[in-house]
Amino acid sequence: MQKSKKRKLIGIYIFLIIFLIIALLPYFWLILTSFKTRVDAFAIPPKVFFQATLSNYREAFLDKGFLLNLKNSIIIMLATVGIGLGLGLPSAYAFSRFKTGRDKLLLNYLLGTRFTPVVVLALPLYLLMSKVRLLDSFVGIVIAHVAFNLPFVIWMMKGFFDAIPKEIDEAARVDGYSWFNVFLRIDVPLAKSGLAATAVFCAINSWNEFLMALILTGRHTATMPVGVPGLLTPQGTIWGQIAAVGTVITIPVLIFAILVQKHMIAGMTMGAVK
Amino acid sequence: MLKKNRKLQNYSHLAVAFHLPAFLTLTAITLGPLLYTLKISFFDYKISSAGSENVFVGLQNYIRMFQDMEFWNSMGKTFLFMFFAVILEVALGIILAMALNSIIRFQRVFTSLTLIPMMVAPLIIGLMFSFFLNPQFGLYVWLVDTLHLPLPTILTDSPVLAMIVVILMDVWEWAPYMGLVFLAGLQSISGEYYEAAKVDGASGSQIFRYVTLPLMKPVLVVGILLRAMETFKEFDKPFILTGGGPGNATEVIDIFTYRQAFVSFNFSYAAAVCVVLFIVLQICGMFYQKFAMGGEE
Repeated sequence: MQKSKKRKLIGIYIFLIIFLIIALLPYFWLILTSFKTRVDAFAIPPKVFFQATLSNYREAFLDKGFLLNLKNSIIIMLATVGIGLGLGLPSAYAFSRFKTGRDKLLLNYLLGTRFTPVVVLALPLYLLMSKVRLLDSFVGIVIAHVAFNLPFVIWMMKGFFDAIPKEIDEAARVDGYSWFNVFLRIDVPLAKSGLAATAVFCAINSWNEFLMALILTGRHTATMPVGVPGLLTPQGTIWGQIAAVGTVITIPVLIFAILVQKHMIAGMTMGAVK
Repeated sequence: MLKKNRKLQNYSHLAVAFHLPAFLTLTAITLGPLLYTLKISFFDYKISSAGSENVFVGLQNYIRMFQDMEFWNSMGKTFLFMFFAVILEVALGIILAMALNSIIRFQRVFTSLTLIPMMVAPLIIGLMFSFFLNPQFGLYVWLVDTLHLPLPTILTDSPVLAMIVVILMDVWEWAPYMGLVFLAGLQSISGEYYEAAKVDGASGSQIFRYVTLPLMKPVLVVGILLRAMETFKEFDKPFILTGGGPGNATEVIDIFTYRQAFVSFNFSYAAAVCVVLFIVLQICGMFYQKFAMGGEE
């Protein structure tokens, strides 16, 4: 009995390890390829040991100008997170503290935005922005990213504010704090780990986003994902450089995702699963 | 009583003040543009003729859509993709969740690593697959050759195989996520149920069938509905890997809409498709709210 149980457990570990190898090997390969020369990248059988080179990074970021895309990605990400939190925090707080009869309607409105496909919003934003000359501007793409992240921010932060005991607010009110100050100086600092998770969530959404950026950005504001298809040229695909850009897109996401993993599932199901 | 009433009144002013920035912005940047989409779907706006924006055509774009075989093809592909992707993701997710739930050592390490595929940009996943499947030097071709596997070496030339690859790509990205969602569900089941079942002499498969599965139903519903909706928004991965091809074998609805709007520049026609898509997704969203978030409010 004991022995068969142990054997079963070993079987489970083997299954999980195989699963993870399949799930993660491609990333490993991507990162490896980014350090290979053209010859090594094409070698058959594939090389695991090779002379590492930084030439792909140099060519992509310096010669092909991906440094600009990197800069654009960072600007758009920071602006999206900043504006998303700035607008979303007060609203999330009101959902948690100042309940009214219309809350349900407003929350449904947020969910409706969450369920709208990107392409459905991309079309009118493109047409309207071309009228007011906002195509290829940071303002335009940040507006689009905020549109998708704002419901996320409000929904996630509502949960974090709910977790703070209301007695704390009342004590602060007695001490003469205005509601705005209770919110800003007491409750926002108390919710800071949730705040960090929400910020990371938005940052990843904006950083990875492809379709909106493909449509709304141009030569001056293209993000990294938008630049990548440009490397798939008819003369042949430059895999080393694609891998280099791919690695730069992927690594920060991996680090941050691991940091906030315990909030990830709740965020992605809009709180339906904790 | 009176005092309480005044307090509520007080709150509602505060609520308005705190909600206003977010909801004004959201209305301006989402609801407004969506209403604009609705409007132009009744016009004949396309880039090829000047002033076409103001030509009212009534329901013509919608009629055209219902007669457009390409539109129905895309809808069909989308449902095909959704059906197989979601089934495989759920099945793999359950297995993964049960495996993760039955280990104690390294459980956190395994769960953390499982999180990775869904956090990476879908675009990168599409690129990695095209790299992997590259007919000249991809790892896949090499594996098939060296192991003498009876498999075709070029996958994206055949309509059926291309669709299978597009589905597998999604499964590869999202099955781990389903695993984690279901794991959260499993961990919320109280151990007492299992004890009781064991006392009654239930076998392992009976416990799974009559205890685990019914208790997991709420999270299963969440996972299935969420993924079903998300597959409707599929764009990045097939766009990069197949571009909707060969022919339009993998042209899911978002790629179709993209092509109508930004390649053919038939704005009004694309807008009509968008309106239909929007309505379909909102209906799915209502189901999600009803069945997945019912306990929330």
